[in-house]
Amino acid sequence: MPSRSDDNAIDKDPIDKDPIDKGPIDKDKGEHLPHLRADGAPPRPSWLPRQRRGITPQMIGRYPDYDVLENADTWDEMTRGVVLARLDPPGPLRFFEPSEEATLRAFCDVTTGQDEDPRVPVAESVDAKLADGKLDGFQYADMPDDRDTWHLVLAGLDESAHERFRTGFGQCRLDEQEQLVRDFAAGRLSGGSWNELNVSRAWSVCMRAILSGFYSHPWAWNEIGFGGPAYPRGYMRTGALNTTEPSESRGATQEDPVGTVRRESEEFPG
Amino acid sequence: MSIKDRLRNAAKGSIGPADNDSRFLLDVHSRALPGRQTMQQYDDDDEVDLAIVGAGAGGSVLAQRLARKGWRIVVIEAGPFWDPDKDWVSDEAGSHGLYWTGKRIIGGADPIELGKNNSGHGVGGSMVHYAGYTPRFHPSDLETFTRDGVGADWPIRYEDLLPHYERVERELPVSGQNWPWGHPHSYPFSPHPVSEAANVVWRGAEQLGIGMRVGPVGIVNGTFGNRPHCIYRGYCLQGCKVNAKASPLVTHLPDALAHSVEIRSDCMAARIELDESGRARGVVYLSEPGGAERLQRAKFVAVAGYSIETPRLLLASTSARFPHGLCNDHDVVGRYVMVQGATQTAGRWPEELRMYKAPPPQVSSEDYYETDTSRGFARGFSIQTVSPLPIGWAEHVLADGHWGRAMREYMRDYNHWATVGVLNELLAHPDNRITLADEVDAYGLPVARMDYSLTENDKANEAYSTKVITDILKAGGAQDVLTIHRYAHLIGGARMGSSPGTSVVDANQRSWAVPNLFLADGSVCPTQGSANPALTIMALASRLAERMADGSAMSDDPEQRAGPFRARQPVG
Ligand SMILES: Cc1cc2nc3c(=O)[nH]c(=O)nc-3n(C[C@H](O)[C@H](O)[C@H](O)COP(=O)(O)OP(=O)(O)OC[C@H]3O[C@@H](n4cnc5c(N)ncnc54)[C@H](O)[C@@H]3O)c2cc1C
Ligand code: SF4
Repeated sequence: MPSRSDDNAIDKDPIDKDPIDKGPIDKDKGEHLPHLRADGAPPRPSWLPRQRRGITPQMIGRYPDYDVLENADTWDEMTRGVVLARLDPPGPLRFFEPSEEATLRAFCDVTTGQDEDPRVPVAESVDAKLADGKLDGFQYADMPDDRDTWHLVLAGLDESAHERFRTGFGQCRLDEQEQLVRDFAAGRLSGGSWNELNVSRAWSVCMRAILSGFYSHPWAWNEIGFGGPAYPRGYMRTGALNTTEPSESRGATQEDPVGTVRRESEEFPG
Repeated sequence: MSIKDRLRNAAKGSIGPADNDSRFLLDVHSRALPGRQTMQQYDDDDEVDLAIVGAGAGGSVLAQRLARKGWRIVVIEAGPFWDPDKDWVSDEAGSHGLYWTGKRIIGGADPIELGKNNSGHGVGGSMVHYAGYTPRFHPSDLETFTRDGVGADWPIRYEDLLPHYERVERELPVSGQNWPWGHPHSYPFSPHPVSEAANVVWRGAEQLGIGMRVGPVGIVNGTFGNRPHCIYRGYCLQGCKVNAKASPLVTHLPDALAHSVEIRSDCMAARIELDESGRARGVVYLSEPGGAERLQRAKFVAVAGYSIETPRLLLASTSARFPHGLCNDHDVVGRYVMVQGATQTAGRWPEELRMYKAPPPQVSSEDYYETDTSRGFARGFSIQTVSPLPIGWAEHVLADGHWGRAMREYMRDYNHWATVGVLNELLAHPDNRITLADEVDAYGLPVARMDYSLTENDKANEAYSTKVITDILKAGGAQDVLTIHRYAHLIGGARMGSSPGTSVVDANQRSWAVPNLFLADGSVCPTQGSANPALTIMALASRLAERMADGSAMSDDPEQRAGPFRARQPVG
């Protein structure tokens, strides 16, 4: 399993001094949510607690003591087989050409916000889906087959990168890559390979595969605190707010532990 | 409340259907159908009473009913015969095989994404992975043209479906609160407990004076024969490995197998073949891509492949008599195909709601179902809670415009969100249609193309309903909202009507053009209302079976064919 390289380590301080709000982020108020922030952008991940148990992508998450894989022995055999296979070391690419690899990896990284190990191997998951021809069952009348769409998109990203930044997409700086992806998402790229595509639809074809690759991985489930497969065990505690199963763990909070202990002893004396 | 209703309420949870033993024919310890081992087998040349294409909602009910009357039946199903223990997983990406993923071309001004969102492939059909909502249509849905001047009328009335609704509700069985909307009714099982993610939506609706009710869902609440209680694991759209959720695989096919139905799985119907007199001789099918064509002979043929595959099969069945496709003398086959607007909005709360627990279908409202001219559009919408799993949630977040780091931030917040959706009634339109594309599939059969464009009425309905659900979330205290516009629930494409110029089948679902050919699935519906379609598709098949059994469906009397309600169906 990839380990986190220390020179890239994120700020260990659990409470980020947020550059916009100039104070700690209050999760209960949703101050981390892009819609509710002045710049519409997410805070740096350094406001998050550091993962103590279980692997998450980039070791960031909101459930520092949760590892969905600890429940794997309660899953049915078929489900366990399918999910655990995603942890196997990814093999070489089968569908994409070596010349496409750098662009593919950079594109998958930027669209999923992955900037260091441990990474969910999204590029390999997309590659496997296309190599196995496991397509989604529909093709827009004004678009080529999904497999051709992917080749054209990677070529298009490279062409646009050369045009704007005089280098390949994979070699661009992160902010340059983000700028190109922002334009791709908005359907604003044109010329060359892009002219053979409906650009907005190409974005949704690519993102479908990328999101499915990322959020089918148990590391991503750890990051978001998802309970995971629950058969045959099931869930019992669907009721009152904030109730958890024995196998779930609560999200991290920024409350002052001393204050909580004091308040609880006042509310529930004796 | 009538005496009948009172009795039904008192007997809640204790009465099963008298004429369907499926619930007892399932194994308690494994999910594979025990009856498959001893399944009847017929020869291709053995002229069976009925060959059905498609073992889904419609086809399975038809088979079970007529098998009980002694009919010898073969069901030809393109997908696999599931063994849920082995074939299904509690996992979104791992469920790819449940869906119809053969290529289809989508066009028009507003192309509809298909695949996992719209149709199934395999014994049990799309209900294997449907969410589980089982509302009835409203009486008005069957007369929208007469009442509201939009859409089209049905050649039958709600009363014709009513006994079959009640019967199918006992078979699934449906659980839910007493239903105040449409034709008020109660359900055979009491409502499931409501999760906190649905409760916050309920409270928001209450603030705005919008009525909500729990259910109705085809999910066992209690035990039902050998089917256990739901375990609230939330994977209904990936196939229920518990046998708690209704699908024909557990509700009708066990009984069908016990009454000598053969289900020929992994067999793709290629066309319907006619004899010299113009009657169907049987179904031509392929048991593997590139394999030899086989013909299953049958006295009657029923097609139940759903709204894309049924028209596709008819259009591909060309002959000298039908150069433009079977039953397509008037260019109606494939037209008036519909979906429902299925926008979903999610709201954020400070507390953890963990919406992945409990089945996605929980509480719903039909307060906005009927036309209210003050809203500025005809017909309406229903409101239902849903609960996407991580990949579904990521698609939701993306649709609101977030990718990369912003998406990750919203995704990490997953456990704080609750989701509510709408189902908009979208109006039938002749240019929304299924045709054949130039490409062919692995079997060498032309693939379907589906064109779809929204009307102004549809867009107004969508915009209005999106505001209503957003207001509900805000009234319930949501701090932030995220919206995805999407579509679900195919219907139509080979509608029933009172005259051959406007419809493909008559009021008995018998084709106007081929005397022994019936359509038995969702493709026959002229409108969809704002209700999820599966229960109605089953009720229609149940009614059809009753009429085929007593011979009234074969009547050539023009009055019988036109139906009890003279359907007004504008063309164009
Ligand atoms: C994700 C999802 C959620 C849904 N949720 C709900 C819900 O909550 N409530 C609700 O009421 N409805 C829901 N639906 C819709 C519902 O499942 C369908 O409307 C219903 O099952 C359609 O019934 P049908 O008999 O027309 O077709 P299906 O049940 O789809 O059956 C058609 C069968 O025919 C087979 N077939 C097709 N062509 C051929 C051929 N040429 N040869 C052989 N076999 C063929 C197919 O493989 C399939 O098994 C949902 C659907 C989806 C996809
Ligand atoms: S939530 Fe209930 S009905 Fe849905 S899949 Fe799980 S056990 Fe089946």
